[in-house]
Amino acid sequence: MSALIFIAIFGIIVLYLGFANNKAILAPAAIGGLLITMALSIKDWGVGSKYFHDMIVVDNFSIAFNVSMLIITILIFLFGVNYYKRMEHHVAEQYALMIFALTGAFLMTSYSNLIMLFLGIEILSIPLYILAGGKKSSYRSNEASFKYFLLGSFSTAFFLFGIALVYGASSTFYLPEINTYIAQFNGHLPPMLMVGLLFILIGVSFKVAVAPFHFWSPDVYEGAPTLVTAFMATVVKTAGFAAFYRLLGMGLLPLPAALEKTLWVMTGLSLLVGNLAALKQSNFKRLLAYSAIVHTGFMLLAMLSQHDSAGSVLLYYTFVYSLATIPLFIIFIHMKRSAKGLEDLVIFRGLYKQKPWVAVFMTILLMSLAGLPPTSGFMAKYQVFTLAISQGYIAITIFAIVMAIIGVYYYFYVLREAFTDSDEPNPILIPFLNAALIVVCGIAVVLLGLFTFTIPI
Amino acid sequence: MIFLFYLLSAIMIVCALLVVFSRNPINNVIYLILCFIAMAGHYILLNAQFLAVVHIIVYTGAIMVLFLFVIMLLNLNKAIIFRKSTVTRVSAVVTGGIFFLVLLAATRQTFEIHAKYPFNSDIGLVSGIGKALFGEFLLPFEISSILFISAMVGAMMFGKKDE
Repeated sequence: MSALIFIAIFGIIVLYLGFANNKAILAPAAIGGLLITMALSIKDWGVGSKYFHDMIVVDNFSIAFNVSMLIITILIFLFGVNYYKRMEHHVAEQYALMIFALTGAFLMTSYSNLIMLFLGIEILSIPLYILAGGKKSSYRSNEASFKYFLLGSFSTAFFLFGIALVYGASSTFYLPEINTYIAQFNGHLPPMLMVGLLFILIGVSFKVAVAPFHFWSPDVYEGAPTLVTAFMATVVKTAGFAAFYRLLGMGLLPLPAALEKTLWVMTGLSLLVGNLAALKQSNFKRLLAYSAIVHTGFMLLAMLSQHDSAGSVLLYYTFVYSLATIPLFIIFIHMKRSAKGLEDLVIFRGLYKQKPWVAVFMTILLMSLAGLPPTSGFMAKYQVFTLAISQGYIAITIFAIVMAIIGVYYYFYVLREAFTDSDEPNPILIPFLNAALIVVCGIAVVLLGLFTFTIPI
Repeated sequence: MIFLFYLLSAIMIVCALLVVFSRNPINNVIYLILCFIAMAGHYILLNAQFLAVVHIIVYTGAIMVLFLFVIMLLNLNKAIIFRKSTVTRVSAVVTGGIFFLVLLAATRQTFEIHAKYPFNSDIGLVSGIGKALFGEFLLPFEISSILFISAMVGAMMFGKKDE
């Protein structure tokens, strides 16, 4: 709880640091604050307590996810040191908004009341709508911001309507009470409750971009500034899945048969639609957006396999996925700068010739996303599949494995470009800090694959 | 009371339909304001005076008047006729119809709800809301300030001219 209070106040402090007119102090200060938050979070490990009339539950699950998101945000802020060097205005606001978004993410991992879930999703989303439009002069950034805002408010309306219907039926916002209320019907839910639950699931599915609620994500990923895209693909996805897992685990499991079928269909659709669309992409950011939709499908598979270890598998999967995604965006931004603003896959041409070590690390990272051994992406998918099979979901697991194999094609398509010689090579400059980030993340991706962790959450 | 309820509901439904069907943006906004006022009447019938007053001040007084100003300042007060392809229209009708069916089915079979708490006539008054906000709902009330500050930061970021 102290971590939550600290980070909420710390965001405002970072906002005020903007008055110092010194961009160099922003990133170190922000990272320092996040480290303090991490220490405060870890201090509560194993205690497990409820605060403010059971609005918030701080347990090991929420602490583990919070720490994972903090580590990812620190990596993104390190990326930001170089990324924001050319930006003249509103740099402090960018950092502050990301910290505010992280506050919302904290609420999403530790709520036990639907009101807190709603507030968490909104506190996460509103800074993102702003951050997506961070490049004010760019037409596509404006489009991304506006599109995200409109569709996001639409999904929020659904979500709120769902909460209202569930409250109307059960007269409580508190998840464990909703759980006992649902249990008394033995699977034959009254329609009002059913529609309410469905709307809540739609609202959360929109936030994590599950097909068929994924249409916003490629456009927003493409238009938003690259650093914000990296933040959306990693931290926001982690928070969304933590919230989704908590919603199912604390409130809705065992799911009514109709809703469970709906979620299984959504899992299959995410895997299929994401893969098929990714095969056709020529823009790298759109490719990663569709690949994120496929990964959403895998994570849903882990979540729907109702088992105690699902939380740990989900944590490992999201962490490893984030760890592989951030350096890819870093490599992408430098290739984009050397290609004078192009975002197509062809900009990776000649990478191996000029910077062989970057190409090698890119291979490792893409292998991890594709799920090939010995990287941690393989171990993450392996854990998901064993979990799903152990719970008896054979058919969908086989389908997911086939989809994972198809996915190798488009990740390696990017690699093929990186190992092709370019006709007109442009100099590629990678500053020391970003190079260090690429190396550290690449090594961590391999090491985490060799030494997998399971956390009792 | 029953008569008032039906009167307010009828006003709301007619105004809501006019918001959708009217072509002139200024008329749209004015019908929406009427709809909001009728809704405030419903709140008063439920003995929620505070909510009714806030609803009038915030939604009708501030937000909708702001809408009206924007429409007038940007000179948007011309009738706009949207032209959409037949496919879009048909798919929109089908989607809306299915959604309507779902909601209809849900409300038609709605079971009787037993109130968990006895009706408290003070619940909508200022003191009742204040006690709820600073008692059980203290954390959501305080944490929503983060939401507002990020929205304000966004407004400043987008609104300010960069030199």
